[in-house]
Order: sequence, then structure tokens, then C-alpha cells
Amino acid sequence: MPPAITVQDLRKAYRFPRRRAGPFGALRGLIDPEFTELTAVAGVSFDIAPGERVAIIGPNGAGKSTTLKMLCGVLEPSAGAASVLGLVPWRQRTALARLIGVVFGQRSQLWTELPVRDSFALLRRVYDQPADTFAHRRDALVERFGIGALLAQPVNRLSLGQRMRCEIVASLLHGPRLLFLDEPTIGLDVTAKAAIRDFIREQSLREGQTVVLTSHDTRDIELVCERVIVINAGRIVLDQPTDQLRGRFMARKLVRLQSLAPSLNLALDGVTRRPSEPHVTILEIDTRRARVDAVIAAALALGGIEDVTIEDPPMEEVIHEIYAALDR
Amino acid sequence: MRSTPPWTADLSSVAHTAAALAAAYRVGLASALAAWPVLLGRAVFYGVCLTILGAFWGKVAAEHLPGTLAARLPAGGLGRYVGVTELITLSVTTIQLRLEDELRSGALEPHLLRPKHYLAQTLAGEAGGMSARFAVLGAAGLALLAATGGPWPSVSALAGVVVLAVLGAFVGVLLFTLVGLTAFWLRRVLPALLITQKLIFLLGGLFAPIALYPPWLHAIAVATPFAAHIAFAGEAMLAPSWTQFARALAAQLAWIAVLGALAALMWRAGLAKTLREGV
Amino acid sequence: MGALSTYRAQAALAIRTSFSDRTNFVLLVLGMAVNNGFWLILWFLFFTGFRQVGGWRMGDLARLLGILYTLFGVATVFAGGYRDMAGAILRGEIDALLTQPKPVLARMLARESIASAWGDLSTGVLILAVSARLDLAGAALAVAAVAIGAVAWLSAGVIFSSLAFWVAGARSLSRDLMDFTLMFASYPGPIYGGWAKVAAFTVLPAGFVAIAPVDLVRRPSLEAAGIAVGAAAAYAALALAVFSLGLRRYRRGASPGS
Repeated sequence: MPPAITVQDLRKAYRFPRRRAGPFGALRGLIDPEFTELTAVAGVSFDIAPGERVAIIGPNGAGKSTTLKMLCGVLEPSAGAASVLGLVPWRQRTALARLIGVVFGQRSQLWTELPVRDSFALLRRVYDQPADTFAHRRDALVERFGIGALLAQPVNRLSLGQRMRCEIVASLLHGPRLLFLDEPTIGLDVTAKAAIRDFIREQSLREGQTVVLTSHDTRDIELVCERVIVINAGRIVLDQPTDQLRGRFMARKLVRLQSLAPSLNLALDGVTRRPSEPHVTILEIDTRRARVDAVIAAALALGGIEDVTIEDPPMEEVIHEIYAALDR
Repeated sequence: MRSTPPWTADLSSVAHTAAALAAAYRVGLASALAAWPVLLGRAVFYGVCLTILGAFWGKVAAEHLPGTLAARLPAGGLGRYVGVTELITLSVTTIQLRLEDELRSGALEPHLLRPKHYLAQTLAGEAGGMSARFAVLGAAGLALLAATGGPWPSVSALAGVVVLAVLGAFVGVLLFTLVGLTAFWLRRVLPALLITQKLIFLLGGLFAPIALYPPWLHAIAVATPFAAHIAFAGEAMLAPSWTQFARALAAQLAWIAVLGALAALMWRAGLAKTLREGV
Repeated sequence: MGALSTYRAQAALAIRTSFSDRTNFVLLVLGMAVNNGFWLILWFLFFTGFRQVGGWRMGDLARLLGILYTLFGVATVFAGGYRDMAGAILRGEIDALLTQPKPVLARMLARESIASAWGDLSTGVLILAVSARLDLAGAALAVAAVAIGAVAWLSAGVIFSSLAFWVAGARSLSRDLMDFTLMFASYPGPIYGGWAKVAAFTVLPAGFVAIAPVDLVRRPSLEAAGIAVGAAAAYAALALAVFSLGLRRYRRGASPGS
């Protein structure tokens, strides 16, 4: 079966006119402009099979969103080729639009003053969906994602989590074969994130949709996607199944303790201490060797603990570790 | 061998596009009606404009100074003329603000991911909003006409005015669409907007009927889309005639076609720029 | 004394803030000047064709616009807080002011200065200097007219904005009412008769903002001065009363914004 997405050496560079110094800089800049070039994507290549769920991750400015936009057709590459569901995205944007669903975490695609239901009705017309097919699909999605109570409310009155659920349903109403999600869980609380992850995964398994997801959140990758492509500085640095990545790079938690005492006396197996300011202790726990709850219990037993925070290591660290592993 | 004739695909596509435009129109209309306090406020503003301008031109006409243009004014003043010109002006929605906002903020992106033409859909929505305003203001205008006890225009004259006013409003919204599309290239559309508004005032007959201008200025005004936007409908209220109506209609339809084509070209150029450089 | 020095300090800060983006400031001022200049040209065209209306000629209208732009500019530069006072009340922004020992109204008026109003101010002064043909006495009367008109205008602003103590939709309502007042004031007084005249001297005090002050310059007399000054003072007193009443209601927690 042909790949759903084929990408060959895709590149994107932006050119900015450079402001020239001096009193007539602006005028000189107009007549004889100089440009600065910023490379967002420096040549990426990959294939994605139909039905695959792939995460594209990387630090801020790595080129994830740029890559995604080129695959959706809203950005033209500077060089390279890509084919999405047999179409060239930036040349056949309208045709591709009928076959894909897109969710932007930070930008709403619904009509904000309208009730959700009215946005959905308008989307039926936008995607030329027959009334009965549409109604059937809409009702099934609404029920599955539990947004029935939200349909009558204007989008701008919904919480972020509620809005994201409606956005995701909206992106699926026309039965797309491929779903692009750009930071779909950003800014959401733990329950909302979990609901969205479950929904996307099950939807893909049920309907056979290909899913391409970009995220900062390593849990998005672990729980939704079977494959991870890591992008940094516009290039792919890793392309592996999630299991392998999890095992190698994501078996860590950071626990931050705030204490009355300037420092804590904690020495445990599988736990490393990181540098921090007085009254703060940052512990790095290797979850393959130690349990987070055991470490916290040990800390609490010392007494005088004012605050405990558990965090995932930041994406930048994961990337850094990936690099370190690659260097070795 | 094809089971269906080849043109059915095209017809079906046209039908789908029409349905999508109709849906956008309905949404625009419903949104405008839902914000009825705004519509009411606009109607009050319309009433205030008519009161002030009616008093002004009524005084000018009543004084009837010899050797001035007052001789060319209708006896009752320009109340009806102003009624029509302000109706059109206040019906036109601020599409340039919407375009400026969406083009500059990147809110355009979701629309680019849909298989429908953004500009056409947006215009259909604005047409819906304009319909609500036009209806409410039109009702207010008729109420004021009844209240001032003036003679009613004939049904055919009124119908002619309505047609020219509706088309005039659409010419106006296309003018402001062009203003809004400059947001692809300029930081702010305000300068283009202010210039357009001034031209509408002067050449569109919003300030005074262009029939009162010196012949050279009148000729210029008539040749611009601004007269098609405002002046023709106002003149139809003052001195209705079939010849005037036919000429005005032709001019308005021509300008709608020209401005629409210009808007389509600007959109294509702006879209190409956006696809190259990102939103 | 507290009100005056508080006001002075706050207004100075607001004015400095409006200058902060130099390019934007210049553009706004120039833009407003061009805008006002355009209206003047339209009026010039009108008087070329019609010679006069209600006994007013171009010179009279120049005096009206000169005084109107100047008083609007003065009010909006030095007490620009009136523009969004209703919004500030509805957003509960006077809470911070209520906890301080300085007079609330003075601070509310002084907290903002609108940059484009310098364009109105300069256009107004220019028009008065160039086309109104004023001698020394006339100039003094013009200054008096500006002062009287500015007091009436600000009073109107305070009264309309104070509606926010009672009504949640007051923000756009007060803006509309001020716009209507300005519209009424931008045309020669004699055109108004009947209901329009009643409106211009009561609900929308265009009469006291422009018509009476301009009459003072056109046909100076003790009577005209008495009417203009008396009306402005009465309006100012009304504005203070309405604001105090509204503030009391706000303190009770009965207002939409409190």
C-alpha cells in the first residue's frame, strides 16, 4: 500500500529584509535590499504509512509546525518534495483540504460567537457533506467524545478543554483520512489531556485514520503515537518506534522539594541530586531503578517539607539526551 | 464509459458552492440579528444623522438665496436624499476591520485548510449582516418619513431606490474589501480606509448631491465607483426616472464586476505571499 | 488643593505616556489634522455654492470649527480620561482610586491623554488664528469660549459616563451620546428648530458646548456671556452631582461594575 505521506528533502528558509544602519538606511534598504536568511527546515525526509500514528517532537523553533504547515499546504517549501494522500499539498491545497482534518492547539477553527452546533452545520456546507451521512457521523462523534451538553453554547464561552474537544470533533466531521494535530493538548489540565489522547487513539484505531501530531508533551507521544520523529534545528535527529524511545530516554522524573531547612539529606539508589538554590532540592529519579512515591515518602519522612512538585524532564533535556546518546 | 454526463460534476460543484455561500449568508444574518442592541443603536444614530442633516439642508432650501445653488434644491430640502445616502453608509459592515484582523493575526490559517474560497465566504457572511442592518434602518427611515408627514414616493420609485441602494451597499463593501486586503502588505489599513472614506464623502455625494457640483467635478465623480456606491441611489430618490435607473444599474453592475475582479486578484496575490512567507 | 495638584501630576504622566511612541504620535496628530482640514475644505465648497446658511458664512463656520476643535483638543489632551470613563467604571478600575485619599473624579479624568487630540488642538488654534479674523478682544473672547465649551463638554462626558454606575451597557451608550453631541455641535446653531433645538440644549448639550460659546464670539454681550458661563457652570454642577450619586451607589455595591 502506498504511503499516506511521503516527504523528500523538504526545506523552508525565510528571507527578511535587513535594516541597514545609518541615516539613509531605510532608503538604501528600499533601493538595494539586503536579506537575512533564516532556515526553519533544513531538509527532512520520511514516509508515513496509512493508519500510522506519528509524533513529531522537538524544542521550540525546531521546525515542527513549519513541517506540518507544509504538509497541510498552507506553506510552500523552498525546496524538496512531498506527497500527502497522493496530492502535492501546496499545489492542490483545496483538493487536499477535503481529505484531511487539522487541529491547531493555539488557534480556533470554529466560529467563536456561534453555538458549537451552528459551527458544525456550517462545516457540513463547507465540506459538501450529504445531510444524513453528516448527521450520523456527527452524532457518533458527539456521543463518543461526550460534548452533547456543549453544542448549544457559543464557542467563546467554553473552557479551553471543552473547546479543544469541540475542535477535534469539528476536524473529524467530514471523515478525513488523515488528521494533523498541532499541539492539541497545550494549556490543558491533566484530565482534559487524558480525554483527548484516548479519543484520538481510539478514533484512529477504529477508523484507520493516519495521525500526525506535534507536541511538547512527552505523554502525548507515549500514549497516542507508535512512532516518534525528533526534529531539532530543522533536521530529523531520530525516527524510532515509541517503545524504543521510551525505554531509552524517558524513564526519568524530576521531583522538586521546597523545605524549611536550607538543604536535605537524601541519598537514594537511582536518585541524583541536581544543583539548586537554598531551601530547594531537585531530585532526578531514574524510574527504572526507583519509584517516585518511595522517594517522596522518604523526603516527607525527613520533615519540614513545604512543597512538592513532580515534573517530566523538559523536552530540551530529552533532545539533549538523544544527542548525547547519538554521539556515543 | 461515464455513467453520468460530464457537466453534472460541474453543476454539482456549483450547487455545493452556492449552498456554502448561502450558509455563510445565514450565519451573518443570524449573528447581526442576535446583536440587536447594536442594530438598535445604529438605528438611533441614523435618526440623529437625519435630524441634523435634515435640519441643515431644510434651512438651506428654505432660505432659497438667489444666485446660489439653492435654486437647484428640491423645496423640502434634502431630507430624503440624506435618508437614502445614510441608509447605505450605515448598512455597510466593517469588513476591512475583519480582514485586517484575520490577515494580520494569522486567523486566516484555518480558512486556508478548508475547501472553500475564504473571500467569497467572508463576503457572503457580510452580505448577511448588511441585510439585517438594511432592513432595520430601512424600517426606521420609512417610520421617520411617515412621522415627518412628507408625500410618499411612488411604489416603482421606491422599488428603484431599494434596488440601487442594495447594489450601492454592495459596491461599498467591495471598496472596503479592497481596503482590507491591503493588510497583506501594509501594517495598518487605516490610511487606505481614511482616504477611501474621504473620496466617498466628496465623490460619492455623501456630503452633497453630486448634481450640484461644477460640471467637471460631476463628470469625475460619476466615473468613479464612489458615485455608484452612494450618489445614484440618492438621486433616484430625488428625481426618479427610468433612464437614470437604467444607467445607474448598469454602472453599479459594472463596478461590482470590476471591484470583484480586483479583489480576486488582490486576494490571489496576497494568498501567494502568505503561502510563501507563512501567516 | 488636593484635587488640583493630584490632577496636575496625573495629567502630566498621561501626556508623557501618549508621547512615548514618537512615530505613532506624529502619525496620529498629522492624520487628525488632515481629517479636520478635509472638513474645512468641504465647508468651503459648500459656502462657495450656497453663500450662507442661517446667516452664517464661511468665517462664522471657521470660528465654530476653530473653537470646537480647540475645546475638544484641550479636553481630550488634558482630561482624556473622560473618553473611556464608563468602561473604567464597568471594569471596576475605580476600586484602586477609592482606596486612596485623593479625589476620584480628578484622577479619573487625568489618567489618560489621547495623542490624536493634539491634532485637533493644533488645527483648532490654526483655524482660529488664520481664518477667524480675530482682534485682541476677539481672541480673548475665543479663549473664554474655548474654556466655557470645554467645561460643558467635559461635564457632558462625566454625566454620560456616570450612567455606567447604573447601566451595564453604558460604555457604548456614553460614546454614542458624546458622538451625537459633537455632531450637533459641528453645524451652525441657527439650523436647529423645534425638537432638534430642544435636544441640542438639554439631553445632548451641543448648545452649551458650541452654540452658546460661539455666539459669545460672534455677538459679544453681557447677556450672551451670562448665558454661556451660567449654563456651563450649571452643567458642571450637575456633572459633579451625578458622579457623586453614582459613586455612592458604587460604594454600596449596587453598580454593575462593583
